Amino acid sequence: MRLEAQNLTKAYHAHEVVNIEKVTFGAKGLEGLIGPNGAGKSTLMGLLTRRIAPTSGTISLDTGAGVKQLNPLKSYEVARVGLIKTNQRIQGFDSLTIRDSLRLAATPPKDEGLTSIFAGHRDTDEIEEKVARLVEAFPFTDRNGYAMSGGEKKLLDILRCLITEPKLLLMDEPTAGLPDDITRSVMNMVREKVLAGDMRVVVVEHDLPLIWEYCDYVHFLSEGSILFEGEPDEVKSNRVVAEKYMGV
Amino acid sequence: MDYLIFSFSLMLVYIGLAQLLHIQFGLAGIPNFGVVGFWGIGLYGTGVLYVVFGVALLPAILIASALSAIIGYLLALLVLQRSGQAILAATLALSAIIATLVVSEKDLTGGVQGLGTIKFPFGDMANRNFVFMIFILVVVLALVWVSARLRDSRMGRQLVAIRDNEELAASLGKNTAATKRWVFAITCGGMGILGGMSAPLHQFLVPYQLAPSITFAVWIALVLGGKGHNLGAIVGTFVTFGLFDILIETYAPVPAEQAILLPNFKLFCYGVLLVVIIMFRPIGLLGTDGPKVRQPAAKGAET
Repeated sequence: MRLEAQNLTKAYHAHEVVNIEKVTFGAKGLEGLIGPNGAGKSTLMGLLTRRIAPTSGTISLDTGAGVKQLNPLKSYEVARVGLIKTNQRIQGFDSLTIRDSLRLAATPPKDEGLTSIFAGHRDTDEIEEKVARLVEAFPFTDRNGYAMSGGEKKLLDILRCLITEPKLLLMDEPTAGLPDDITRSVMNMVREKVLAGDMRVVVVEHDLPLIWEYCDYVHFLSEGSILFEGEPDEVKSNRVVAEKYMGV
Repeated sequence: MDYLIFSFSLMLVYIGLAQLLHIQFGLAGIPNFGVVGFWGIGLYGTGVLYVVFGVALLPAILIASALSAIIGYLLALLVLQRSGQAILAATLALSAIIATLVVSEKDLTGGVQGLGTIKFPFGDMANRNFVFMIFILVVVLALVWVSARLRDSRMGRQLVAIRDNEELAASLGKNTAATKRWVFAITCGGMGILGGMSAPLHQFLVPYQLAPSITFAVWIALVLGGKGHNLGAIVGTFVTFGLFDILIETYAPVPAEQAILLPNFKLFCYGVLLVVIIMFRPIGLLGTDGPKVRQPAAKGAET
């Protein structure tokens, strides 16, 4: 699973937010994307999942079974290819319970057609099991109710993405709004899945210790361009990164 | 007695329309302000096919409601991915277009002079208006049953998700635009069926029947009863149409000179009721109901 962007630019009223010659994600397992505020990290994530239309450039996904151009796809088609993004801002379905929200995400779209109105059962045991496993792994206040706090909603957002079993998961600031121990158990779960070869992950984060601890490879984005890429140790000791980001 | 049967039949049609609006607005979040337009396509489509082209009543109803569904689908293609206000304006405009077309296409619709007569089916049966009312009742009950099933189904869950946060649903791989389009088209077809069944009730069709007042009555009934509750349409229609149009207008001992004021008094009451509901119980009298699903308790549930 390799997600590749070439000559990718996004400009708002002649103000260029992203201008990347070439970048590849998903080649290394668990990757990090760091950079100062306003570097264009979230815009890049939005561009890759086709929520934002690029000004120019191409995005392609190598699924192992052939290269797929993402440019002409809609947001839901990108998700069906297996490229899913968690949200930085808290988002959710207010009228769905935690379990229903996860069941919704786990249900393949072909099972949600008109015929499902007359189906005997709503969800298969398989889906129920997946949902139960995720819900019970985390300390929700009311496991059969709704996500209460901002933290629970943020956690639910990440779990909703995980349960779709993506091939490449983009995580936009997973630590923002989450307690430290929950972040760790989420990241451990993510790392397990990566090690098992189920998916590749890109984490956008400001929490550098987390990046150094979990990531196998780090991209540094500043002023809309990738300025440096490498192993965590290389990035840590790189002068450009230190000057532009860590304020040394 | 005939008048009472007519009123009840009409009330059933209103319940059916409100039930379909519950699916469109309450579940899927599509604000359709052109209910009378789709109902009118069914009404006048059936009338024209029956009177001008001599098609039998039931096939005429089916053809007219298919037309209503197709027009619903085309409108959905144009406006459904736009904002709520745009959908409101476009659907309201469509119903105005239908009403204008009925007036202007005199050769087919008879224009302001009207179109008639559309007879009840079932030949010379003595109580055919009563039998027809039972027929409408069956259709409306089926609608209520289907929308309860929809609420409990995977598709209903997807609709609620789309209503709550469409962009998020799409990011999980749901084709939200297509789902909304199909739901809208099918429910508009349902409104067409109810319109077609209203044709023999009215027997004689005139353009003023296509005034937006039906849209407003259905909306008021649904909002009063509870737009997110499967029985909200029924309760709301009983409280508005049943209470005022049937009970008070028929049975209240109002002196003749005041009787002409009744329709205005009715509108006044609707208005007050609506304001009170929106201020103190915005979810409607019945509130909202979630899916009633018996999830298998654990593994090994029967399939």
